[in-house]
Amino acid sequence: MWSLHKLRTAENETTTMFGYYLKLGLKSLRRNPVLTALMVFGIGLGIAASMTSFTVFYLMGGDPIPWKSDRLHAVQVDNWDANEAFDDKGRLPDQMTYIDAKALMTAAKADRQAAMFKVALPIQPASEMDGRDVKPYLEIGRATYADFFAMFEPPFQYGGPWNAEQDANSARVTVITQETNEKLFGGADSVGRTVRFNNVEYTVVGVLAHWQPRVKFYDVTNGPLTDAEAAYLPFTTAIDLRLDSTGNNDCWKNADPGWEGFLASECIWTQFWVQLDSREKLAAYKSFLDAYVTEQKKQGRFPRPVATLLPDVNQWLALQEVVSRDVEIQVGLAFAFLAVCLVNTVGLLLAKFMRKSGEIGLRRALGASRRQLFLQHLVEAAVVGISGGLVGLALTAAGLIGVRALYAEYQHIAELDWTMVAVALLLAVLSAMLAGLFPTWRACQVQPAAQLKTQ
Amino acid sequence: MLELRPILSALMRSKVSLVLIGLQIALTLAIVCNSLFIISERAALMNRPSGINETDTFTVGSIGFGADFDLRASIAEDLAMLRGLPGIADVAAINATPLSDGGWSQGISLDKDQKSPTAPTALYLTDEHGLNALGARIVAGRNFRPDEISGRTRQSLAWPPGLIMSRALADKLWPGQDPIGKSFYINVEQAPSTVIGIVDRLQAPWVHKQRVVELSTVVPQVVSDGSFVRYLLRAAPGQRDAMMKRVEARLAELNPGRIVRDAKSIEKLRADVYAEDRAMMIILGVVIASLLIITALGIVGMASFWVTQRTKQIGTRRALGATRGAILRHFLAENFVITSFGLVAGTLLAYGFNAWLIQNYETARMPWYYVPAGCVTLWLLGQIAVLGPARRASRVTPAMATRSV
Amino acid sequence: MLKMNHLSKVYRTHLIETHALRDFSIHVRDGEFVAVTGPSGSGKTTFLNIAGLLEQFSGGEYFLDGVDVRGMNDSARSRLRNEKIGFIFQGFNLIPDLNLFDNVDVPLRYRGFNAAERKRRIEDALARVGLSARTRHYPSELSGGQQQRVAIARALAGSPKILLADEPTGNLDTQMARGVMQLLEELHAEGATILMVTHDPELAARAQRNVHVIDGQVVDIHAEPRMRGLGVVAAQAAHG
Ligand SMILES: Nc1ncnc2c1ncn2[C@@H]1O[C@H](COP(=O)(O)OP(=O)(O)OP(=O)(O)O)[C@@H](O)[C@H]1O
Ligand SMILES: [Mg+2]
Repeated sequence: MWSLHKLRTAENETTTMFGYYLKLGLKSLRRNPVLTALMVFGIGLGIAASMTSFTVFYLMGGDPIPWKSDRLHAVQVDNWDANEAFDDKGRLPDQMTYIDAKALMTAAKADRQAAMFKVALPIQPASEMDGRDVKPYLEIGRATYADFFAMFEPPFQYGGPWNAEQDANSARVTVITQETNEKLFGGADSVGRTVRFNNVEYTVVGVLAHWQPRVKFYDVTNGPLTDAEAAYLPFTTAIDLRLDSTGNNDCWKNADPGWEGFLASECIWTQFWVQLDSREKLAAYKSFLDAYVTEQKKQGRFPRPVATLLPDVNQWLALQEVVSRDVEIQVGLAFAFLAVCLVNTVGLLLAKFMRKSGEIGLRRALGASRRQLFLQHLVEAAVVGISGGLVGLALTAAGLIGVRALYAEYQHIAELDWTMVAVALLLAVLSAMLAGLFPTWRACQVQPAAQLKTQ
Repeated sequence: MLELRPILSALMRSKVSLVLIGLQIALTLAIVCNSLFIISERAALMNRPSGINETDTFTVGSIGFGADFDLRASIAEDLAMLRGLPGIADVAAINATPLSDGGWSQGISLDKDQKSPTAPTALYLTDEHGLNALGARIVAGRNFRPDEISGRTRQSLAWPPGLIMSRALADKLWPGQDPIGKSFYINVEQAPSTVIGIVDRLQAPWVHKQRVVELSTVVPQVVSDGSFVRYLLRAAPGQRDAMMKRVEARLAELNPGRIVRDAKSIEKLRADVYAEDRAMMIILGVVIASLLIITALGIVGMASFWVTQRTKQIGTRRALGATRGAILRHFLAENFVITSFGLVAGTLLAYGFNAWLIQNYETARMPWYYVPAGCVTLWLLGQIAVLGPARRASRVTPAMATRSV
Repeated sequence: MLKMNHLSKVYRTHLIETHALRDFSIHVRDGEFVAVTGPSGSGKTTFLNIAGLLEQFSGGEYFLDGVDVRGMNDSARSRLRNEKIGFIFQGFNLIPDLNLFDNVDVPLRYRGFNAAERKRRIEDALARVGLSARTRHYPSELSGGQQQRVAIARALAGSPKILLADEPTGNLDTQMARGVMQLLEELHAEGATILMVTHDPELAARAQRNVHVIDGQVVDIHAEPRMRGLGVVAAQAAHG
């Protein structure tokens, strides 16, 4: 009973003291409005700079498919020139030849697998379509396998993916995006209807709901921030129709003439992804891949030493240096900037608290403990921090608008997300407390006697 | 009358404030110098000439429908129409243009048996009008003749016998020699080609690939399989924007069995290809400006505090005979000393930062004059920032010596 | 040396006007030691401030060493102050960030003496007040009496014509006050003109002449030719 009572008084005391400290802090801040504004603005600006660039960094480098990024693996084999590595950094080729893609698809040793490439897709809306006159326009499409949808899990609005049989038969089927469906069918359920791409009729089997991965991790060869494709069609169909890849075509050796020669060449232009649901399967696939390359070597291909790689999504993004150097430099700069702002705030708080050393000495003389004074000033610093954080948040939003204006392709990246808001606020309060810690400590070192001696 | 020694010893008594402002100034100097250096590097990158007329030129693409689209006929028809269009100075079919960031590249070998090529090169496939349409200047040899132009398809393995290259490429392949008539291989398994002409300068499409950016070869061939063609047009001076619309409309009219892709000026291509560099410059500019503002405000805040804190002291100095000017100079001198401390540390930090950038981002070494220039700037900034508080200090009346509490 | 005729000083704040001095006339001759007494708020500090050119006056005339100071600009006043006047404040007014040497150096710097001259004067002045051994100490490391002695050293280092002291012993105990007073008397004996505000009748009695200020006016002047009359002291005490 007694202890409970004591507990309650202690609690009560803490809350009332906190209120008192808050009052004192606010009063003290109001006494020098210009200085207070300077501190708040300083922290705000620092927070905004670091948060703006960090948001871009975080969203760019962040995991685009967190629930299964460790099960999705890019497949890399080194079919390059005996005399020269694929790139200056000695990395493996970032794409695959048609022959290898075809062979790996046929072997089907992974839980799921999909070869893919980008195609130019002139879309020819039927002129009588819903009585609207839509001119032919050019879009980028992706030729791939049915497993693509199961692996990367784009959401469907209507219908679903095509099936393996349609893959095998080079069927003229397509999955279109919500945006394309909007243009061609006014957003109606178009499953079963036909569309015309480049003078060929395709049957719509599915319509995707809006889908825009933050970075287009499954194909970063033309930049990680390009829009998702407008329509998907079977890989086999694209080959059958002799559709060229509109992505990078890299060759180290001259191809034989003609389409067949191109397909049989050592030119790389397809991306290849597999889903492997366990570590054992990953290991098994790795040895399968090594065996495949060794076998091909015997037939005179793969002149370089056997090298294969199965990076998961995050490893792949790091390997392909998806976060640009400019962004990295900006992040570094932004944190240096934050440091300047913090030092600035420490300096101002210090000046402020030191000026109050007379008052602090007096309070000490009147019986305030060091701990109480420490709390009092920490509360004052925290008030500055929270205000700085709020100002910083507003400035971050403005900064991101600026970033979007500067980088056209950052539209999906430069968005404030709630984690970042929380981080910004926390950072502000922590940095202000940190900034306040030293001055507070200094202020509380004041000897009660020192002040009473001279001015 | 600078009282440096007493100022110094007084500052030494408040080391923490000194360290804080010094640190702030040091970081500011380091960041400002390096950012300015990066800005100037990007500016230099963007200022490199492409070697072509960028103000009057534009490109437009056409993609025909169907696997049976007759590209050759379509190109002939289009070119005939475009060449008759008033307001168009010249036009050519071309596979890629400078500043577009997309194109073809190959290795050039001088010897049939060499293992790896001597130099990489961008390939521009175009007709006898190509160089004139681009506005590139032939400085040696000659342009292609109409009879030298052929079509290039997937079946083509050999390269035409007479090619034109940029002077930078010729200098790399045959340093100090006259390149005209020299032979080389694009495909070592085929017959060699010879140089028939040299253009003064012609950038490759990839402006950020230092290794290849000045190295290009012009081939008298027009891509004639598939269904895509790109035209490069040069309008009469001042008429580019009008002609872009006309050309788009006329091409669409001429053959409806295709898509005519939006016409794009080379100036737009340049803006796009350097967009990231420009953005980086702007962001760094904003960082520099904000930093200077923050630092200046910090100095103002700090100095204001010192003035308030030292009111009595200032009054005493005034009572002891200091003129207003002497008080003003005292604060200016004090700021100068503090700033100088920061700048010494900042100089080390600036070079350290540069070294780090060199190691991690392959940037160049910062020229020596950046840091001194930065120091002068910060000295001035400090003096200007402290001027307000210093003037306030100088207005403290001598009576404060007896009246102040 | 110092001559004020019908001087007045009005402080204007937004609510009220305070007539701190009115029709204030006084003449201090060369080499005089004058003690200024009077109740709190009567205008003693105001008088001293005006005498020392720290404040402007509102009306009347003031000649310092024969120079009319009315209408003089700020830097001329600063120079005059620096050359002719030495201040000793009640609160010592030492600069806490400077050591003793540098504190005494302050007025000499503004005077523009060369380094050797300054050093000589500082050392002499500190020797005078018996603090030669402590030139590198900071004010906070000294006792109150020692601090005031430094302030006196600072005041006399520039060999001023007149020393102005506003309750120089107000913050000191009797023992220390005696020491400071003794120092002032020595200086006076060497020919310095001294104007001292004090509440201490005993100290006032040791001056050559007493000026009593009430309500901004000089009401009573005792010229005491080097003689200590106890009766006068008692009368002063009754007023204070
Ligand atoms: N700056 C000022 N503004 C307004 N009134 C002032 C100012 N300075 C002094 N006064 C007023 O002038 C009057 C004379 O003040 P002064 O300081 O000269 O008194 P004092 O005789 O020195 O008193 P004490 O013995 O208490 O030091 C007082 O009434 C005071 O309130
Ligand atoms: Mg007084």
